[in-house]
Amino acid sequence: MSQVFSFDATDVAIIRELRANGRANNQQIAEKLGLTATTVSTRIRRMEDADQLRVVAVSDFSAHGFNVLLRISVSVDGRPASEVANELAALPEVVAAHMVTGGYDIDMLVALHDFDDLSGFLLDKLSGVRGIRTLTPAIVVDIIKYNFEVAPIESRSTTSATGAA
Amino acid sequence: MAAPQLDQLDTQLVDLLSRDARVSNRRIAAELGVTEGTVRGRIKRLQQDGLIAFTAITGFQLEQRARLAFINVQVDVDRVRPIAQIIADIPGVNAVLITMGQFNITAMCLIDDLDALVELASDKILAVDGVHHVETSIAVKTVKYNARMAKITKPEVVEDDD
Repeated sequence: MSQVFSFDATDVAIIRELRANGRANNQQIAEKLGLTATTVSTRIRRMEDADQLRVVAVSDFSAHGFNVLLRISVSVDGRPASEVANELAALPEVVAAHMVTGGYDIDMLVALHDFDDLSGFLLDKLSGVRGIRTLTPAIVVDIIKYNFEVAPIESRSTTSATGAA
Repeated sequence: MAAPQLDQLDTQLVDLLSRDARVSNRRIAAELGVTEGTVRGRIKRLQQDGLIAFTAITGFQLEQRARLAFINVQVDVDRVRPIAQIIADIPGVNAVLITMGQFNITAMCLIDDLDALVELASDKILAVDGVHHVETSIAVKTVKYNARMAKITKPEVVEDDD
C-alpha cells in the first residue's frame, strides 16, 4: 500500500505529547492541546491504521538478558549479498541487519546473553551461512545515545480496528 | 552492570505494552489476571529501573530523513568517552556506540541526502578535536530492525495515571 499519508499540525502536536508520555490518556492529551478526547482518539487511530504511528514500550537490551552486543561487518563472496543478509536476519541473535555501501556488504547488530554464547553463535550458526567471506566484529562497550523514534513500521496484522472501548 | 531480570509477569507486561502502550491498566489487569494496582506498580518499577520506556514511533513519511547511515570514527584512545559525548550532542546524530575494534566510536544517523551525511561526517564529526578519521556507510536496505528493543539512556519521567 503506497498511498501517501499526510500529517497536519494537530497530528504533530499529538505525537509530541505521546513522545513525552506514551501512557497519557486521550483526555490528558486533549486538555493540553485544547482538543476533545474524541479528536485525539480519532487522530491516533488514523495514524495507526495508516501504519505511520505506533505508541509502544521500548525495552532495554538488558531487560532481555542481552549483556553482550556486537556490531559485525560482513563481506560476502560468491553469493548474492541479499540472500546472505536474509539468512543472517533469520538468526534470533541478529537483532538488526542492513545491507550497506562501503567496505563491507552487510552490517549487523548481534545480541548475546554473555561471551560464552559467542562460540556457539560463531561455530554453529554463522559458519552454516554460505557466502560469508569475512566477519569484522566490534564489541560494543558502551552506548552513549540510542534514540530512534523514526523507524520502519510493520503492518499490524492483529485486530486493531475492533473492540476499542 | 548486573541487569535486573524480568519475571514472568514482567515479561508478559512488556510483551503487551510493546505491541500497544495505549492499553489501559484495567484491560492489562483483566488480560493478565492481576489487579490494576499490580499493573501500575510493575510499570512504574520497570520504568524506574530503565528497563522500559514509552515512546511514539513514526513511519518515514513524517520526516524525510529516511536513510540510516553509519559513521565510523577513530579517535584518541585516551579521550574516547568525552569525544563520544560531544558527537552525541551534535544535532542529527541518533545513536553513539563506543566500540572495541577497528573504530572507537560508531555514530548512527538518519539522513535525507548525501549532502547531509557529508556535512555531519566530514564537517562536524571530523572537526571535533581528537577525531582522526571517519568512514561512512549507508544502509541501502534494512533486512531486520526491531524498534522495540533499544538502549534506554534517558531517565523516564514516571507519573501515576488512571
